[in-house]
Amino acid sequence: MTITPTTSDEALLRKMRGGDAQAFAALYRRHQGPVYRFALLRCGSEDTAADTVQEAFMGLLTGRFAFDPLRGSLPNFLFGVARLLILKHEEPRRREAPLPEADEDEAALPVDEACPLSRVLADEAAEEVRRALARLAPHYRDAVILYEMHGLSYLEIAAICGIDIGTVRSRLARGRAALAMALRAHAPAAT
Amino acid sequence: MDHDDTFDLDTRLAQLRAGMAQRDAPRCVEKELMQAFARQFVRQEPWYWRLGWREWSATAACVLVSIAVLGLLSLPPRLEGALPDAYPLVRIDNGAAFIALDSVERIEAEPAPRLVETEVSGTILAALGLPLTPENAGGAVRAEMLVGAGGEPLALRLTSID
Repeated sequence: MTITPTTSDEALLRKMRGGDAQAFAALYRRHQGPVYRFALLRCGSEDTAADTVQEAFMGLLTGRFAFDPLRGSLPNFLFGVARLLILKHEEPRRREAPLPEADEDEAALPVDEACPLSRVLADEAAEEVRRALARLAPHYRDAVILYEMHGLSYLEIAAICGIDIGTVRSRLARGRAALAMALRAHAPAAT
Repeated sequence: MDHDDTFDLDTRLAQLRAGMAQRDAPRCVEKELMQAFARQFVRQEPWYWRLGWREWSATAACVLVSIAVLGLLSLPPRLEGALPDAYPLVRIDNGAAFIALDSVERIEAEPAPRLVETEVSGTILAALGLPLTPENAGGAVRAEMLVGAGGEPLALRLTSID
């Protein structure tokens, strides 16, 4: 069976487990972009995002992260793995940060930017939104990125983040409100 | 969250989506993953998957030669001086020899065979595969030759080859 753009993820995974390098490359090229963009917006560091993508696919390859097609699609599985890897990466700083109020608008953990002026995006307007997003609390950031950037449903976000749909809805609403407020605060004064 | 905020936020999020659209993981990530893939599957492959066509060809040649040698060794040894029963060319029975010079079918199909008295030298008999003794090797043996209607020789019958 030749590999085409319509070959399913499950078929590619079977071939990959049989030692087909082309199948693994096809899977990687199909899904690396969204996972990298999620990780980049989530953690704010290109290096950490690249490491996250590499570790997620390495886990898929070695079986460290076992994908079960009955529990969801491969892209959502990879989002979930990337999210967990970033949480693990943030854990040392989270331990040092003050305890937040449960599910409230606590102060966001600082993102992985080496310098406050470091840029990820060339477009000024997009970069401003990215920085405002980076200042959101991590659990709001998850919901906003997955919903607004990747077009996932509440149900999918709930499965990825391990929360119920009501929590997704509230986090998304609060995250969007916080994001709008941050952008308005940084907008040039209207004349 | 009023309507103006929502509209503005959606526009700004669309700008971020557009700005991020072409962002992909660095190429070195794919390179490292493919190297890891190669390492993983080299470890898992059995040794015979790693053989190339040359090794397989040599192995196949060795196997064929071994089978041929074993086949030859397993054949029953041919006894010196013995004549195979299945071979119809020469048949010896109680010292008398029948030598077919043509196929059995051709001899049986001959409509009018004739018997002709003749003498056959020991050299010719030896060439036909008859066992000879040093005493009769140099002489001639009386024989009856079966001849077809056209004069072609069909068979020889020797009354005694001793």
